[in-house]
Amino acid sequence: MPTLKMILNGQEVTIDVEPGDLLANVLRDKLGLIGTKISCGEGECGACTVLVDGRAVDSCIYPALKAQGREVITIEGLGQDNRLDAIQQAFVDRTAPQCGYCIPGMVISAKALLDENPHPTRKEIKEGISGNLCRCTGYYQIIGAIELACERLAERGGPE
Amino acid sequence: MSNKVVGESVPKIDAATKVRGQRKFPQDFNMEGQLYAKVVWSEYPHARVLKIDISPAEALPGVVAVLTSKDVPVNEYGINIMDQPMLVGEGKKVRWLGDRIAIVIAESEKIAQEACQRVRVEYEPLPVVSDPREAMKPDAPLIHEERGDSNILKHIKIRKGDIEKGFAKADVVIESYYFTPHVEHAYMQPEAGVGYIDEQGRVTVIAAAQWSHDDLHQISHMLDLPLDGVREIVPAIGGAFGGREDMYIQHLLALCAYCVRRPVKMVFDREESIRNTGKRHPYYMKYRTGATRDGKLTAVEIELISDAGAYASTSVAVLSNSASFAAGPYIVPNAKVDAYTVYTNNAVTMAMRGFGSTQPPVAYETQMNKLAEALGMDPVELRMKNLLEDGSIALTGNPMPKGVGIKETLRQAALASGWREEGGHWIKPDLGTPSAPYRRRGIGVACGYKNVGYSFGFDDKTGAVVELAFDESGEIVRALVKVGASEVGEGSHTALAQIAAEALGIDYAKVRVALVDTSVVPDAGSSSASRHVYISGNAVMRACQEALHKREAALRDETGEKHVVGKYEYHGRSVRPTTPYDPETGMCDPHISYGYAAQIALVEVDVETGETEVLEVWAAQDVGKAINPGMVKGQAGGGVHMGLGYALTEEFIQKEGLVKTRRFSEYHIPTTADMPHELETIIVEVPDPTGPFGAKGVGEMTTLPTAPAILSAIHDAVGVWIDNLPATAEKVWRAMQSKS
Amino acid sequence: MWDEYLFPASVEEALEMLEAHGGEARIIAGGTDLVLQSQRGQCTARVMIDITRIPGLDHIEERDGLIYIGAQVTHSQVATSPLIRSRAGVLAEACGSVGGPQIRNVGTLVGNVVNALPAADGAIALFALDAEAEVAERAGRRWTPVAALYAGVGLCTVDPCAAMITQLRFRALGEGEAGAFERLAKRRALVLPILNTAAVVRLQGDKVERARIAIGPVAPTPFVATEAAEALVGQPPDEAFVAEAAKLAAQAAQPRDSLLRGSAEYRKAMVEVLVRRALWRAVLQEGEDANS
Repeated sequence: MPTLKMILNGQEVTIDVEPGDLLANVLRDKLGLIGTKISCGEGECGACTVLVDGRAVDSCIYPALKAQGREVITIEGLGQDNRLDAIQQAFVDRTAPQCGYCIPGMVISAKALLDENPHPTRKEIKEGISGNLCRCTGYYQIIGAIELACERLAERGGPE
Repeated sequence: MSNKVVGESVPKIDAATKVRGQRKFPQDFNMEGQLYAKVVWSEYPHARVLKIDISPAEALPGVVAVLTSKDVPVNEYGINIMDQPMLVGEGKKVRWLGDRIAIVIAESEKIAQEACQRVRVEYEPLPVVSDPREAMKPDAPLIHEERGDSNILKHIKIRKGDIEKGFAKADVVIESYYFTPHVEHAYMQPEAGVGYIDEQGRVTVIAAAQWSHDDLHQISHMLDLPLDGVREIVPAIGGAFGGREDMYIQHLLALCAYCVRRPVKMVFDREESIRNTGKRHPYYMKYRTGATRDGKLTAVEIELISDAGAYASTSVAVLSNSASFAAGPYIVPNAKVDAYTVYTNNAVTMAMRGFGSTQPPVAYETQMNKLAEALGMDPVELRMKNLLEDGSIALTGNPMPKGVGIKETLRQAALASGWREEGGHWIKPDLGTPSAPYRRRGIGVACGYKNVGYSFGFDDKTGAVVELAFDESGEIVRALVKVGASEVGEGSHTALAQIAAEALGIDYAKVRVALVDTSVVPDAGSSSASRHVYISGNAVMRACQEALHKREAALRDETGEKHVVGKYEYHGRSVRPTTPYDPETGMCDPHISYGYAAQIALVEVDVETGETEVLEVWAAQDVGKAINPGMVKGQAGGGVHMGLGYALTEEFIQKEGLVKTRRFSEYHIPTTADMPHELETIIVEVPDPTGPFGAKGVGEMTTLPTAPAILSAIHDAVGVWIDNLPATAEKVWRAMQSKS
Repeated sequence: MWDEYLFPASVEEALEMLEAHGGEARIIAGGTDLVLQSQRGQCTARVMIDITRIPGLDHIEERDGLIYIGAQVTHSQVATSPLIRSRAGVLAEACGSVGGPQIRNVGTLVGNVVNALPAADGAIALFALDAEAEVAERAGRRWTPVAALYAGVGLCTVDPCAAMITQLRFRALGEGEAGAFERLAKRRALVLPILNTAAVVRLQGDKVERARIAIGPVAPTPFVATEAAEALVGQPPDEAFVAEAAKLAAQAAQPRDSLLRGSAEYRKAMVEVLVRRALWRAVLQEGEDANS
């Protein structure tokens, strides 16, 4: 069984995986990181979005071994101790989550966007989360939350 | 104590755990020594099962059990009518793709999956009935031979006034035929859960359910166990929209645990979730509407045919709702309605956001818009002349109860979108310049209304328990609300906590809401009918008052108690008893309370491709009292999302009972790019005196007007009526072609 | 799913691995299509040879007027590359419309070609750009037109069990040249197109000197509307001639009735609309460039 070594949420992790394992399953089933959700199983909804070397990917169709030696960030890697990070806090403050199943993926997509483009236009925000489906919200409060996070981050002078 | 919390957009009670990814959904539960189960689904929409050979599956190493109908103590279930087999055995019929032949339980999901492939089933295919209009015919093949000699499950009649006279008075009569399709709930969390035997020997299920206590009744019947021998725990639910009101996995998990006495986990993949679970009913709707020259409705004649699919589910109740709302929120003196729901071999159809009140607006509002055009009258003005008010006589002959806010709702939506009222006339706004020379702009308006709570004499009730802990001075340090209301994402637990905090006069942060576990919380009915704020809110409020009385007594009598419990079972009939349809005239007092919505859509239609882009929606809804405005806005966003999908993008395709759109790559719910660029939510608060703090319901009304408003805007833009949803680019293009 | 996953360090090693597994191995890059094909049993390869760690395949660069794109380059990288945006905007537009951000971040343009689907957005643009692909086999490397790689729906003439495409190249659009990409789909993001087209035109003075139009999915492979393009040559780039060319493209295109994509009649009519818009936008862009 091959060994997968990656920097997961800032910690080095070494774990045996099946060659055919997908990253989402390794995260959820082997590492207990249930924040990464599986919804469509075909890269069509973004519920399983994680960052690999800073880029948003659909972990449900991402071969786990591709993460070999890479830096992976899941929803569990955001925020510090008991504090939410700016995006998460804005999601709470703007009543963005409804059922919440898409939310970890949305937050991660928002992070990928803001890390690269701290001052996105509304159109860019919409594009940034266009790979994430939500059935509850119509996206408005999610977009509003990302805008709020931008404002707060700008006041603070950059991401944490 | 000034702790005003009702009316504030406080953070949702579970928002922080949800944004961290810590809140556990059914697929996030794992138990020591758990097994995995997979289903062998029917391969045919209609067939007789001749032979089932499970031995090749049983022989696979790692397979623990293969369950068939022989393993089910009482092989039937169903939320209203027990017409569904748990597993279909030899000699019996499968009636749709969601019927199950067997369940394989194995040491791993992979083994279970492989074993499913090895179960050999021989079928004798039977003629497939896939159109309810064909299924109604006397010579149609029967889906349920044992249920009489017709596929018609229910026929509802409403006869009000005299439609002959009504149409004779009409200067204009509009006649059209409408179709609304199946809709997939498409909640983001596919069905999943764990079944196990708990420490007290109860068959226990952890799953997403909209009405756990009703599931218990069905599961105990199926397993022939007493009610207290079964238990359901409801963790976070990843969306429901009606789709979890029936059981799709709960009973399977219960059977697995019952049979193997070990924890068993099952997770549906998206394809199973789309292909093998229920949908919104398709409706075939024939409308004839008459009005005088000055815009007064004189008569409607309506035929509704709903496709119930293979099993009844709540089709009769859904149809009942549809019939009562068939004429829209208007005063119509003369009416004839014939509504049918019919078995077919299509997907089972069930509750979905609106519960029968979502399909008729596509017809009744398009009729109004066509009438406005024919009369040369502004569509807002035409509506204002006919909308219901307090005390107006509804289609079913009952006076409308106090709090009818539809006129005010429409007025606010119209004004927000730029409509002007001048000298008693309404004038449409100027729409600005289209973004490209080949695009045309159009604006459209629609209304909708719907019941809050259960109807037609059904006893709508919620039990609530409120536990208070207080200190020596009597100050409440903690309140725990126990109520069996499933939090499906809409925020029922948050709203109920706000209501409790307000009723108790304490800080919102001091209120906790217990997890739904049937062994702990009382039955609160389902998370449906937009009812939890109204019905369960009433129950919680009264349980709080009860607890406060007890606290006062404890303090007064110096008993030294620091803990009291208030209980209340609230019945909707205590404020408004409802009645079933009169079988001949349909006259009745159908609903306890109502919520109202009006929306205006601004679109651009590409005249060359037929594509519609929705630029803006103004969504007004009368919620009585917004307990949490942030959550109300969230419901509006979600309602418009579903309405827009209904109108434009979502096409669930079945051919001869076979599902052709099995994935999210084939069934297209709107993305951010498809949503209106702007959504303006307008909260209207015309109180219902019977609601907590005047509140009505929110969740469903927000989706009703979206599709007809968009259809009307398309017509305004390019002059074609699309009466057959969804209004795909190709349909709009074809309509434009045949017009020119 | 597969039961071995390998990371070769060079193209040569990748080819050796392919050979060593005698048809049971195949090349994987982003895997956004391949993972699903494997899960659904449409791809039965037992060994996956992941080329995303091979040095020297991640380039987007211009040399002697040609743009080279390595096999590891993702749709996102193409869509946001300043070089591609300025010298092959049609390809940036096409790659930017694939799936959603997550898919574009992983899926590669070369993978889009190898997959050989007639609806592939990136490939349609490559057809319009007359791109070539470098095929690496045990026998050596050779350049072949991208158009020659397509043998049918999902059928690439490069056998992924024996060879790999290492890079793509095409002539950078120069003075007087511009392209545009148009697409029609059931919704506005995260969806396969029901129709797409890419057009590239070169103007010489006030005449069209050259045009190339690719359309998908209207045939088993991306369709090049040669007749329509030729009709434009020598004509002034005005609306009437563009409309006429679009009409010819629609006449030549052979879409089929599709339950999910729409009727042949509609899509044929839409070919005309999209081709006209793409051509016209290319012409206008060229005008803009010339004026700027």
